[in-house]
Amino acid sequence: MTYIKPMHPQVNYPRGMNEAVVVPNAGRVLGDPTPDAAMATHLFGAHRGPLTVSDNFAVLDDPVEQRDFTEYAEVDGLPLAESVLMVQGMYCAACADTVECALQDLPGVQSAQVHAATRRLTLRWDPAQTRMSSLAQAVGCTGYRLLPMQQALSISERLREMRQAIWRLFVAGFCAMQVMMYAVPAYITEPGEIPTDIHQLLRWASWLLSLPVVFFASGPFFSSAWRDLKQGRVGMDTPVSIGILVTFVVSSAVVFDPTGPWGHEVWFDSLTMFVFFLLGGRYLELKARDRTAGALDHLMSRLPEVCERRTPAGVFEPVSVRRLMPNDVVRVQAGQAFPADGELMSAAATVDEALLTGESHPLSRTQGDTVIAGSFNLAGPVDFRVDRLGRDTRFAQIVSLMEKASTEKPRLAVLADRIAAPFLVLVLLGAALGGWYWWQVDHTKALSVAVAVLIVTCPCALSLATPAAMLAAAGALAKRGILVRRLQALESLAHINGVVFDKTGTLTLDVLSLGEVRVRPGVALSDAHQWAAALARGSLHPASRALAEAQAPGAVDAGLSDVLEKAGQGMQGRVAGAGVFRLGSAEFCGLDANTASDGGSPVVHLADEKGWVATFEFRETIREDARAAIASLRDLGLETWLLSGDREHSAAKVGEAVAVDHVIAGASPERKLAELVAMQARGVQVAMVGDGLNDGPVLARANVSFALGRAAPLAQAHSDYVIQSGRVMDVADAVRLARNTMRVVKQNLAWAALYNFVSIPLALVGWMPPWLAGLGMALSSLLVISNALRLASGAGVSDAHTRVGMIAPA
Amino acid sequence: MDVLYLLIPVSVLLVFGIIGIFWWALKSGQFDNIEREGERILRGD
Repeated sequence: MTYIKPMHPQVNYPRGMNEAVVVPNAGRVLGDPTPDAAMATHLFGAHRGPLTVSDNFAVLDDPVEQRDFTEYAEVDGLPLAESVLMVQGMYCAACADTVECALQDLPGVQSAQVHAATRRLTLRWDPAQTRMSSLAQAVGCTGYRLLPMQQALSISERLREMRQAIWRLFVAGFCAMQVMMYAVPAYITEPGEIPTDIHQLLRWASWLLSLPVVFFASGPFFSSAWRDLKQGRVGMDTPVSIGILVTFVVSSAVVFDPTGPWGHEVWFDSLTMFVFFLLGGRYLELKARDRTAGALDHLMSRLPEVCERRTPAGVFEPVSVRRLMPNDVVRVQAGQAFPADGELMSAAATVDEALLTGESHPLSRTQGDTVIAGSFNLAGPVDFRVDRLGRDTRFAQIVSLMEKASTEKPRLAVLADRIAAPFLVLVLLGAALGGWYWWQVDHTKALSVAVAVLIVTCPCALSLATPAAMLAAAGALAKRGILVRRLQALESLAHINGVVFDKTGTLTLDVLSLGEVRVRPGVALSDAHQWAAALARGSLHPASRALAEAQAPGAVDAGLSDVLEKAGQGMQGRVAGAGVFRLGSAEFCGLDANTASDGGSPVVHLADEKGWVATFEFRETIREDARAAIASLRDLGLETWLLSGDREHSAAKVGEAVAVDHVIAGASPERKLAELVAMQARGVQVAMVGDGLNDGPVLARANVSFALGRAAPLAQAHSDYVIQSGRVMDVADAVRLARNTMRVVKQNLAWAALYNFVSIPLALVGWMPPWLAGLGMALSSLLVISNALRLASGAGVSDAHTRVGMIAPA
Repeated sequence: MDVLYLLIPVSVLLVFGIIGIFWWALKSGQFDNIEREGERILRGD
């Protein structure tokens, strides 16, 4: 059986460039590795080894799959198909051009248009002349991937939301500007200086321009207040809505009936202005959320689109996940997620069901046990029988939960909201009481007092304080290539006092290179390579990947069966025609430490039933900014640890090179967890920075977790932060930003409290005319938002690299 | 000051006009990717 080697074209971003470096990977994708492709991939370092989704484009030709994103028509008697797909891996307009050029010259393609902001490709092609898979391959050659996924739809949904928000904002803004211009004469002149009819004309014009603001731009406030009202609650938008309505009604009344009992004041300027400011705040919030949401989609799309199903002939063929039916037998590779709920058919499997339990313990499953869609298969390839698919799976239910979680409010925001609720009720009461009191005394003032109280209070400052700051910080981090999965993690990060680093792949580059190889006398070097590579292919450990890569391209894999992987220790398997081998640590292979090299570099041993066969030594490079990053962290007052599963020697060497405070070596995954727990028991708030499969449980346990970009998807799925760039310095930057964020949040909350405390009594007493109330409220919100925006530009972070466009184009 | 009788209504119409133009700009996707919009002139087509 030929093993289709999965490849993932990863776009590399050298520092300082804000365009993608195109990674050619044509050879690998076609399953025919040419030396050029291999070298190019090696140069650009994009190879990630056997991974989650296989790039078999044949799936795109599947009519069932195609129907989802293609429309068929006939133009001039010729068939024409219009397909909409998402281009993955592109973040800028130049990338869009690359994709378009790649497609436009192909036979059968009528037009190809890529929309950079949404990453959507609209393709018009002739199904009679070409196939979707060839087109996708052509795009694959440029280094990007075409995906027929639901994501394309959700992106357009977000875009629509954005556009609506901008539209409302602009209408409110422009009308506000004009209305303010009309209001200026009233402010700067004495009463009576302006001829009455011109005065009236100005008021009419203000009224006219307030109509769009009240009836269109304020829509979100009214709808949310209405929603709260139906539930019998008082929400943040309730006083705002009441204030807007009252102001508008009274001002309109004054316009239509200038001599009536409503007084002589119109407040259209206050009205439009504070609607504009409030909408401005919401727009910024939306923008920040949009940026992280796009990246989250990518991370959360764990279900493979393609899986291998057994045909009646016993051969495994790749099929689209949508084609699966209950009772199909499917093979799942290591590191892949199970595409459906089902029953395990292989003898044993190790799975990670953190999806359900929240804990990433590798769990053992035996034949007959249930496996869950979305859980990861950790050890070697396994077969299972499908029971439930699609919406019936636990995974689907969890996804909808996770979607809600991504809009989950951080703790402080929840607290603020809880205070805001009774506060708002008090405000409404206060307004009513104030109005009633003044009605007795001087009833022209009554309305102005009531409206002033309603408008001047800014619970929005209270509610905006935390989210605005956190979202701005999240946006600033995203620009640097650091993804925040939970806003709460910003607060946790500000309070940490220690940072624990994994070694391999975190402080060192996760690409190892093969150095010296020693073999048992009588064993050919190439044989040792072949056996080791055969075993290594199933594993995601950097050493395995290096072994697999080092094998000469074009070599045929020896058949492998009975594969067993022990996380952190090694792999065992039977190679056809050669017996059972073990590849891994000295302990795992049953060797004593004497045969191990003492140079301090990572080694991997190969042993068979008879004993030692070969030793492979690897060279690992420490990331260039690691030392500076650790120094940075120390300046921030944090203690640093290096926690490694590797031997004392190699860990010590790296530890010294980067100058961490403590080094703990030779730790098994269980020991790592125990150390972490011990640290926490001592009162240290720990942030963990990790990478590989071994780190899942430890990352979950730490107070805050970071995953360095090229990690196995598993680690990425659990950590609070994902550092896409692979720069260790980003950890220090994140800590600094988190601390600044919390400081800003505290400032905002203090301001909100102070402002309300001072201004509401003033309004009740009657010393606050509504225009001042409107101004005050708007300025208060603006102050809070501007304070938060200071974070968006990365203020306070020393090296403000703007590697623009890391995440979403916006 | 009689010209104000003309100017004030004209200004209202002007604002509506501006809003209309903005509607067109929004619709044609010019605000989708604000940071990249300036690069549009550099692109070939």
